[in-house]
Amino acid sequence: MATVREKGYYHWEGRLTESRFPWWPITRTGILLAFKKRGFRFLFAGAFLPAVVFLAGIYISERLEDFKFMVRGSERLININPAYFKTYLANDGILFLMIMVLVLGCAGLISDDLKHNSLQIYFSRPLRKQDYLLGKMAVVFFFILIVTLIPGLLLFVFKLVFAGSFKFFLDYPWLILSVIGYSLILTLFFAFYTLLLSSLSKNTRYVMILLFMIYIFSDILYGILNGIFRTPLMALFSIKANLQQVAAFVFAEKLPHAVPVFWSFLVLAAVCGLSALVLHRKIRGVEVIR
Amino acid sequence: MSIEVKKLSFSYGKVKALDDVSLGLGDGAVGLLGPNGAGKSTLLRILLGFLVPASGEGTVLGYDIRRDQAKIRRLVGYMPEDDCFIAGMDAVTFTSYFGELSGMPREEAMKRAHEVLFYVGLEEARYRLLDTYSAGMKQRLKMAQALVHDPKLLFLDEPTANLDPQGRNEVLELIADIASHKDIRVLLSSHILADIETLCSSVVILNKGRLAAEGRLEDLKATDVSLYELKIKGDGEAFRKDLEALKCRVEETEDKVIKVYMPADRNRMEIFRAAARTGVQIRFFTKSQTSLEDLFAELVGVD
Repeated sequence: MATVREKGYYHWEGRLTESRFPWWPITRTGILLAFKKRGFRFLFAGAFLPAVVFLAGIYISERLEDFKFMVRGSERLININPAYFKTYLANDGILFLMIMVLVLGCAGLISDDLKHNSLQIYFSRPLRKQDYLLGKMAVVFFFILIVTLIPGLLLFVFKLVFAGSFKFFLDYPWLILSVIGYSLILTLFFAFYTLLLSSLSKNTRYVMILLFMIYIFSDILYGILNGIFRTPLMALFSIKANLQQVAAFVFAEKLPHAVPVFWSFLVLAAVCGLSALVLHRKIRGVEVIR
Repeated sequence: MSIEVKKLSFSYGKVKALDDVSLGLGDGAVGLLGPNGAGKSTLLRILLGFLVPASGEGTVLGYDIRRDQAKIRRLVGYMPEDDCFIAGMDAVTFTSYFGELSGMPREEAMKRAHEVLFYVGLEEARYRLLDTYSAGMKQRLKMAQALVHDPKLLFLDEPTANLDPQGRNEVLELIADIASHKDIRVLLSSHILADIETLCSSVVILNKGRLAAEGRLEDLKATDVSLYELKIKGDGEAFRKDLEALKCRVEETEDKVIKVYMPADRNRMEIFRAAARTGVQIRFFTKSQTSLEDLFAELVGVD
């Protein structure tokens, strides 16, 4: 270690400014740190696989004559309509991939700061609690929107390009809004879900396990309770079922469970509300033990 | 005045951490002294806006501690007591990151991060992962992040805690340099009296959430007690009781030296008379200087 003051201290001659987006450095750093994690890049790249498959589906649907030998009797699978987009955004596989992206890339967003006591350095800066939380949430927004909204919109554009006409757009002018709306709902829910669990423990491994297990076990619980009570109401216990229920509503499709969609919205909103409450109480410059 | 507070109170539930504290701190290095639980860290946290006082008011560098927290934080550098870092980052990224969060442009923050890391002696380790830093390096890193935005006032909370003697000397040297030459006012909170005595020209002593003393170190050390050190042979207990009856405070060190704090208006001959009365021989006697330790012991009532 070099001697103290070897180079001397200089005053900084610049001027500190009030940023319009004080949360942005937090987001940028969160994204960069996630990409440094082992295996994350590979997983994140893998999260685009469903988009590639669905893109291929759109291409094939426009070239049915060429691919007839491949899609014998399966034409309905590549019937491009709002249900196709809903399937892309709310199928079990993509939801699972999103959870895995959150597990590997976002579990430590708050828990690492709690573990290493860095909240007090954050809040010794001209930073408000909402700036900090927005910065952390935006990391989740980035990862989820990039595998939902961006591919969703691109699939729509490619459908028009491959079709060579605007007929699809004229048939479903609201579909873009549905893609945007559902992507935002999904992103907002996952942001609150991730930050809630991340703020509950200083151990990132526990948070990773929680993120994964709560998602999986909520679905298993639904299966068990449905088996016992034989009522679709039990779907409300499952995160996945609620998200798929909302997706069906947003894309004007038949609801997968015979439960009013309002209840699913309420369950997701309750998780977000609980998260906001916990975050409000737990995120502060100093841990106050009363 | 860099810091001024009036009738500041704060409680953690039923425990009063600060009780009606009023003080004004000027330029240079000021020591914030007190035993554990005295309210030192609570005061710093209130000044930074981490905690909202139950009552009272205050200003830091002229800004109100309740209303102008963002302005205060822009001008203040804070080095917390606990280890703080972000896993997976190197020192340059960490320091520039907090510079940016303070309001520096990104490129400037990066340039400045290199400068302050050189200044605190971490230049060779600045690209190493923080997870691999030793306790001393983490302490320097905390100093670097506190200095990166060139604050006008530096809050240092137990800056030499958990350091080996060499690391402690190096950090003290840094603080002394900052406080004496760099136009940065320093508020140093510590329970290590020697650190405060080395670095600070004035001191605030808190005890059980109350202000016990405040002022220039020289003035406070010139207390209205005289300190005598003596060694005796004979019944020490009777001698002690006799001295205590004369309003003296008596302490015995590990090497059997008896320290007698005698009110300044009393004559030292009374010590000899007490010895004669109790049949004690005084084998060694000298008048000693009161130290910060003595002042602290007298005000706080602990050794």
